[in-house]
Amino acid sequence: MNFEMKTIREVSLEAEICYPEVIKLGDHAAYALTARHRAQLTGLENIAESTFKTADILDYIKKQIARFNHWRKPDPTASNPQQGFGERLRYYLEEDLSLRVGRICRRERLNVGDTTEDEQQTRRHIRLLLMRQVIRHIVVQYEYRVSVGLEPQYGARDDA
Amino acid sequence: MEPGTMLDQKQLRKVWFLSDNVLYREAVAFLHKLVYEQECDPLPTSQVTGLLNIALLLKYGELEDFIQHQLERNWPPGKRDIKILYTALEEVLGIMRRKRLKDEFHLLDGVSAGEIRRETDALMALLAREFIQHMVAENGRLAVELSNQRPRQRSK
Repeated sequence: MNFEMKTIREVSLEAEICYPEVIKLGDHAAYALTARHRAQLTGLENIAESTFKTADILDYIKKQIARFNHWRKPDPTASNPQQGFGERLRYYLEEDLSLRVGRICRRERLNVGDTTEDEQQTRRHIRLLLMRQVIRHIVVQYEYRVSVGLEPQYGARDDA
Repeated sequence: MEPGTMLDQKQLRKVWFLSDNVLYREAVAFLHKLVYEQECDPLPTSQVTGLLNIALLLKYGELEDFIQHQLERNWPPGKRDIKILYTALEEVLGIMRRKRLKDEFHLLDGVSAGEIRRETDALMALLAREFIQHMVAENGRLAVELSNQRPRQRSK
């Protein structure tokens, strides 16, 4: 298997491990954005799929946090019920996924160092692939939730 | 980008790398230092829009002129933070242009002497755009955070 194929496989495996948390983020998106702001989440997905830079994705999320109240809406069922959706998503992509990239790059997996520029470029590419996959899953979960409805613990919608 | 200049794929890839691995972190730190250590307010929306629009033009000379103009303006006392921010931004970009572009980022390796000026401007236009885009995004985020946290200490 060539390196590109191995990368795709390892990114997919790691995305699967992320899945339970990603589901929660998708639910939080459905709770905060509701079906009314679907375009803002598909906008995020479009940026993730088209950009060459992970920072563009983070910048987009920050802009949304600054512009819209619903991006700052916390999830009452989350472990941090004060944290808004945008902040939670930004933190997850920026901090948690960085650790996961480190795991993918370990010797027993892709064996990518962190010293030379080539190695750092490869890590950056892996991070972008993982971000894209995670965001795809979040959008799918969001779509599912806005269509079937939120779990009862979210209570009644207060933003109808 | 400066007219008549075409950066190669290797340079562009390097710019993306720098944007993600260096400039993003530095732009966030730059703003945090101003806001948290020097207690400046984030830039107001009108300034953000103007700065970002100029940066997106990818004409480094025009961006330099804009920043210079803004920092030389006679700002009223309530807006001294804007002057501080532009002064700091000019310094950051100046160091990037004079030193880091060549010595640290190695973006001018192999560029002929006759092309140095034009390539420098083209590369700086890209790097400055990246830095400013990251800075502006963090600025908006911080403005929201501070509006919830910081009591209104200064009269506007």
